[in-house]
Amino acid sequence: MKVGLFIPCYINQLYPQVGKATLELLEKLKVEVVYPSGQTCCGQPMANSGFENESEGACINFVNNFKDFDYIVTPSGSCAYHVKKHYNIIQQTDEVVKVRKNVYELCDFIVNVLKVKQLGASFPYKVGVHKSCHGLRGLRLGSSSELVTAPYSYIEALLKEVKGIELMTLDRSDECCGFGGTFAVTEDVVSAKMGKDKIQDHLRNGVEVITATDVSCLMHLEGLITRNKQPLQVRHIAEILNSTIESKVAHPKGQKH
Amino acid sequence: MDSRDTILKKLKANKPEFIALPKINLDIFDENIDMVKEFIRKVEVAGGKVFEVTDNKEVLSKTQEAFPDTKVNFTNLDDSGFFNTIDYETLKNPHKLNDLDVLVLESTLGVAENGAVWLTDNDIPVRVIPFITKHLVLVLPKENIVPYMHQAYNALDPEVLDYGIFISGPSKTADIEQSLVIGAQGAMSMTVFLV
Amino acid sequence: MSHSKLAGIFNKDEKKVDWHDKALWFVRHKRDLSVHEVKGWEELRNLGHGIKAHTLSHLDVYLEQFEANALKNGVQVHWAANGDEHNQIVHGILKENHAKKVVKSKSMLTEECHLNPFLEANDIEVIDTDLGERIVQLAKEQPSHIVLPAIHKNKLEVDELFQEHLGTKPCNGDPQYLTGEARKHLREKFIHADAAITGVNFAIAENGGFVVCTNEGNADMGAHLAAVHIACMGVEKIIPKQEHLGVFLRLLARSATGQPITTYSSHFRKPRKDTKMHIVIVDNGRSEQLSRPDFRASLHCIRCGACMNTCPIYRRSGGHSYDATIPGPIGSILSPGKDLTKYSTLPFASTLCGSCSDVCPVKIDIHTQLYKWRQIIGKETPQPFIKKKSMAAMGKIFSKPSLYGKVGAVAHWALRTLPKSLINSWPNIWGKTRDLPVGHKQSFDQWYKERENNKKDDQK
Repeated sequence: MKVGLFIPCYINQLYPQVGKATLELLEKLKVEVVYPSGQTCCGQPMANSGFENESEGACINFVNNFKDFDYIVTPSGSCAYHVKKHYNIIQQTDEVVKVRKNVYELCDFIVNVLKVKQLGASFPYKVGVHKSCHGLRGLRLGSSSELVTAPYSYIEALLKEVKGIELMTLDRSDECCGFGGTFAVTEDVVSAKMGKDKIQDHLRNGVEVITATDVSCLMHLEGLITRNKQPLQVRHIAEILNSTIESKVAHPKGQKH
Repeated sequence: MDSRDTILKKLKANKPEFIALPKINLDIFDENIDMVKEFIRKVEVAGGKVFEVTDNKEVLSKTQEAFPDTKVNFTNLDDSGFFNTIDYETLKNPHKLNDLDVLVLESTLGVAENGAVWLTDNDIPVRVIPFITKHLVLVLPKENIVPYMHQAYNALDPEVLDYGIFISGPSKTADIEQSLVIGAQGAMSMTVFLV
Repeated sequence: MSHSKLAGIFNKDEKKVDWHDKALWFVRHKRDLSVHEVKGWEELRNLGHGIKAHTLSHLDVYLEQFEANALKNGVQVHWAANGDEHNQIVHGILKENHAKKVVKSKSMLTEECHLNPFLEANDIEVIDTDLGERIVQLAKEQPSHIVLPAIHKNKLEVDELFQEHLGTKPCNGDPQYLTGEARKHLREKFIHADAAITGVNFAIAENGGFVVCTNEGNADMGAHLAAVHIACMGVEKIIPKQEHLGVFLRLLARSATGQPITTYSSHFRKPRKDTKMHIVIVDNGRSEQLSRPDFRASLHCIRCGACMNTCPIYRRSGGHSYDATIPGPIGSILSPGKDLTKYSTLPFASTLCGSCSDVCPVKIDIHTQLYKWRQIIGKETPQPFIKKKSMAAMGKIFSKPSLYGKVGAVAHWALRTLPKSLINSWPNIWGKTRDLPVGHKQSFDQWYKERENNKKDDQK
């Protein structure tokens, strides 16, 4: 099995530690991972802003970089969802169809392709899961609170196996954090208010570390947490699943990026 | 061309290709509920009261017990002369009926899943009185309770209806700061007697 | 004004935003409890979707069938191509019947057509009889929610409003007292009304009847006392058969408020003796929406308001921030079809979180339609020069890996090197409320290359 690793643009530049954790984690699981050097962005920023046509080059570049892999894995539910859902704007060649079918968000890949849950991680903290919307309602990485279905969550299934972790229950299990791409800027007031409320939910419920499948949500929340000097940390789920922290310290490893 | 034809022509031109009408498979919803129990629960959730009685006589005596000092009462139950303080002729002028206190009507259909009770022109002497009355009392035979709305509509012939209504509980509103207030524009209380 | 500007105004009072958010979230929560009690809920949603999709594909036929049956029932049927014609027709009926006083129960269609100001200009008194609608009418405002029209007002504001208009005593906003006073006030209006106007929740093709749902009983109070009943409906309110009400009435109230059914579900089919019943069937842009394959499912809407209650933006921006008759997510996919330029910011008033689509009882793909409207708006409405240029530039950078590397390195260097105070004080909107992440020495790209090189070195 040959896996192509897609690292979203903002992770590459701003949160490289998430890319490293993802790669290390996959390698730990004995997956042959290649990081194609010509990759850029999935095209979502333009498309969500109403300029899908300007994203065509990015889509084509994505497909060219990943067409030869059995699976494409990315530490972003949002990017995986974008490729799956919105790559209908380019010609549906066999390569495009294959890439759209085989792109996976990291947890989805581990649970449903590798079919493992016990990853040998330890992370002795109280963790609140932020269920990023595109992963939740787009990729269906878990049951959303609106639907009447049997409850499940791939993310929580993995986290439950992490040694020392305590998963905290939130008042609103899957409300959006307010990032929303350009929404964070065009609707900055509501965006910030949503983030603020989300953070309060985590604080109220004793969370020490917020985790998510998407760094974009975490970047937004972290921006607010840092600005308001709140006692919370954010960690991408790959960082937790790749963590080997045995005993709790005041500041979990990696705080200083 | 008048608007009717213009609209219909546009709709015809703009509609998608024919999509088949889905069939309703009632088995999906069936869950073997105790219909009387569920009906009572739902009427109570809707703010109403339910009593189980043996006959219409008991309905009226219990109603009088529940509303002892009311002046203007009407029912179309049989042998109810002692209960009525107004006659049908007075009802026919509903604009002057603002003081109707208690109205007792018979229903032929109730729905367990939502506590709704069905009334039609056959059951209501004058359409507005179930809304004007302060207290609405409905009599429903237990065996006429169906589990879901689907069965309710299966029991109703679409061709014979002139006016009909499902009523579930008393009139209510939460339009002021989401505080529930019973007794908005219609009846202030609703009682169901199961016979 | 753009949605974000109006949302900014609403957010000046954070306590009010918190109240609004919590009140509507509570309604969503009640909805959850209620739908989880229904076995086969998701199948019920599928049926709702399927019946509506079928109906739209046969709409002209069902409307003709409905009209023929309504006529047989002794009901007069009128057709209006747009809001103006709708208002003219309603006014014509009122004039013919010398009706000067009208009571109206909730009808978003008449709001959409601006019927009230039209009738008032023609010297006719129109009283909205739904309590929430009466409140916003007295305040000379628009409803901010389709099910909870006065959700943006607190009880003290209602108290003051009633003191001024209904002569009530100050009561510190006691809802029980205020509702009681409104009841008395509206009783008078019902008794003296010459005509009653109602909306239509569902119109049944097979028997020409229609259903109106209320909790207050105001539609029935009006319709059964006045000599003339005018029911106004959009063309999309049609359902084929009475048995389909079984599906829609199960879906509607649960989605709207969490009640298993509204207090009153009134089935009108024939006028009572010596009175008249009219139905006005209105297009007003619906046939055009039907022509748009990507957006026609918006016509499935049964106006439950669940998408508003669940929408994290709506709850924190208020219904008036949408500046449209139908606010919230569903309004944001309906309104651009009417005026793309005026409503061009609405499809962007969303994070595309998808909660609206999952909560919708008739499974309208609301967030997908928002995304699709964005594409049309990007192409067809004037966009800020900067936005257009930056999108094109981004597109270019992302399609060429060599360009991407260079740009990334610069941004990276800036974040790492420049002082935080400078970065966050740049005229960037992000930085108003949020810090930017701390830059790293190395991008993932650089780290990976270094690692690969080290590996090669090791092998040598």
